[in-house]
Order: sequence, then C-alpha cells, then structure tokens
Amino acid sequence: MTALLLGALGLTLSLVVPGPLARARWTDRAPVAAVLLWQSITLSAVLSALGVVLSAPYEVTRAAGSGKPVAAAALIGALVVAGVIILRLVISLVGVTRRSRARRARHRMLVDLLDRAEQHRELGPDNLRVLDGALPLAYCVPGREPRVVLSNGVLQVLDREQVDAVLAHEQTHLRHRHEVVMESFTAFYQAVPRPLRSRVPLDAVHLLLEMISDDVARRKVGAEPLRAALERLTDAVPLAEDARPDPTGDARRRRLARLAMPHTVSVGRNVAAGLAAAGLLVLPTVILVVPWLDRALDHWPL
Amino acid sequence: MGDMALGDLEREVMEQLWEAGEPLTVRQVHERLSRERDLAYTTVMTVLNRLAKKHMVTQQNEDRAYKYAPVQSREEMTASVMLDALTASGDQDAALAYFVGRLSPEALAAAIAASKRT
Repeated sequence: MTALLLGALGLTLSLVVPGPLARARWTDRAPVAAVLLWQSITLSAVLSALGVVLSAPYEVTRAAGSGKPVAAAALIGALVVAGVIILRLVISLVGVTRRSRARRARHRMLVDLLDRAEQHRELGPDNLRVLDGALPLAYCVPGREPRVVLSNGVLQVLDREQVDAVLAHEQTHLRHRHEVVMESFTAFYQAVPRPLRSRVPLDAVHLLLEMISDDVARRKVGAEPLRAALERLTDAVPLAEDARPDPTGDARRRRLARLAMPHTVSVGRNVAAGLAAAGLLVLPTVILVVPWLDRALDHWPL
Repeated sequence: MGDMALGDLEREVMEQLWEAGEPLTVRQVHERLSRERDLAYTTVMTVLNRLAKKHMVTQQNEDRAYKYAPVQSREEMTASVMLDALTASGDQDAALAYFVGRLSPEALAAAIAASKRT
C-alpha cells in the first residue's frame, strides 16, 4: 500500500499540480511563499519516487511470499536504483552550477573590459557596467562578484527614475541569490528523462522570482517608474513571437497587472502556501514512510 | 595592488589598444597611459600579459619588439557579449537574469544590426 500511495502522491505532484499552480493568480500576491511551495512540491516528488523504489520490492516480495534470498536481491536492486536517481540529480546540479559559473566568469570579464560606466558614475552602484549600443538591454551577472549590466540603449529609452527601478530590480536578484534557486530547478529539469520533462515549474518559478524583485524595486522607487520601464523596454526590444520562455507575453502581462494594483502582501495566502509547503514535506514522511519503515525493519532481509 | 585596480587597468589598456587601431608595443601603451598618471612600465607589461592569457589581445613579434593588438574591435566584442547575454544555451535559465525576456537568435541579429546603424 505504501508504495502505491507514494506513487500516487509523486505522480500527482509532478503531473497534476504544476499546470493549475502555474496558472493560478493567487501566487502573484504571495510570490515568496509560492516559490517555497514549488520547491517543496519538487522535493516531495523526488522523495516520493525514491520511496516507491525502496518500498515496492519489499511489498511485492512479501505479498508474493517470496523467500529471503529473493527479498534480499529485490532490496539490493532497489537500493541501486535509488542510488542512480540521487546520483543523476547530484551530477546534474554540479554540471549546471559549473557551466553557469564558467559562463558568468567569462561574461563578467568581457563586460568589465567594455565598461563605459566612467561616464555614468552618477547612476550609483559600483557593480554597474554600461555597454555601448542602442539595443536596450538590462540584466545581471550573478555570483560572488556580481554585475548589473545596462546597454546605452536603456539609458536613452528610460529616464533616471526608471533606470533606478531597473537597477533596484536587478540588485534584488543578486542580493537574494535568485540564481541558486534557478540553478536547482534547471538541474532538476535536466535530470528528469527527456520524455517526462516539463518546463512548467522552471518558467513558473522564474516568473515568481521576477515578481519578488519587482516588489522590492517597487518599495524603493514606486510602482509607476518600474511599470514604465517594463513597458518601454519590452516595446523597444523586438521580442520574437516564438521566443521562449514567454511566447504569449503572459509573464509580462502578469507583472504589469500586479504593478497596476496597490501592493498588498496577502498574509493569509502566504501562511497557507507556507503551511502547504511544509505539509508536503513532512506529512507523507510521517503518515506513510515512518510506519512502513517500522514494519520493514522488522523483516530486514540483509 | 588589488584585483580591482588591475581590472580597471585592463580596461584602460584595452581602450588604448582599441583607440590606436594598430598593434602597440608595451612602451607605446605605457607612454599613452602615462600622459594621465604615473605608472610603472612593468605594470603595463603585466597587464598586457594577463590580457594575452585571457585571449583578449594577441602578441605579435615584429622587428624584435612584441606588439599587442586586441583580438576583436570594441564593436565586435560588444556584439558578442550581447549575443552571449541573449542567446539560448542549455543552462540559459540559470546563468544570467534578465529584466525582460530573451530574444530569438534571428531577432537578436537583426536588433544588433539595427543598433549598429544608429
């Protein structure tokens, strides 16, 4: 029974929940709690899969009344499969982290050499780099020596207040280490076998992190400059219709819509989402795994 | 000398090489930089060696003197940085964070071409 229930939980979390959760709008008013919820959904799905792998052989061999050698062989097989799953996740995480770091290091070196910030010291932050070029471009290079990069085009399209809004938004990504969250979701995405992969959690978390940065920037400079910056930059950059990850402009619309409304953090939604996140991690363990472990250890075949 | 100061010097040396438009010797770079401030010849040599190691400049042996030239013009390097910033890779979601979405490679090429004309 344990294996079946864990399997059902794992499938629900990885196949049924993500779609509606990504489309839900309550998350827009509680983005921090929503990110926590996505993290616990993902982690809980992984733990469920591991739980199935470990408990199924024991349950099947016991139901079939197999002898001790068969049970032992089944358990060893299960441990190997569980080990492979964990190893695959770890290798993926190490790979994503290493490649991202290398790319950022090279990118940081180039923007440092090309920097025109001498002419824009009045804009403030030491880690700001300004590139030549009329193409409006604003992004940040995370890491231990982070950079915020603006192209000259941004300075031409936006006024000072709007530039401050963009800078506050990017500095939030850097200070809150959002790249660590994105790295872990990217690593999980890449570790899942190709036919089963889904970009839904990755894109949803990405949008939520943008919202978190928007909220901090809004508190610093107000919603209006941020809204204007977002509108002007997306209009100025000819985003291709088919360009991922926002083919319909839905993410942009959601960010703009919540900036148009007065900023109210919903305590109720935050608490509910936080409880759900904690419950997802704790409850399956307590209700399913602990009793099973108790029984299984009595019959440990090795 | 701290890393920060070396980083600033690297940028200034690149600027001199880009402005010159022809390969320069260490002495020539040193002369150009010394117009504005006091700088040791050996420091300039160190910086040029560091840039060569990073494959940002090439070292050419001409008339028994080493001359240095940038591997790309400033415009080319800027374009390649923007291309790197905006194009897709397997880990694109993790590496950099953008204020607005990314471009498709075709749209980006068009946008860079357009921004060069203006």
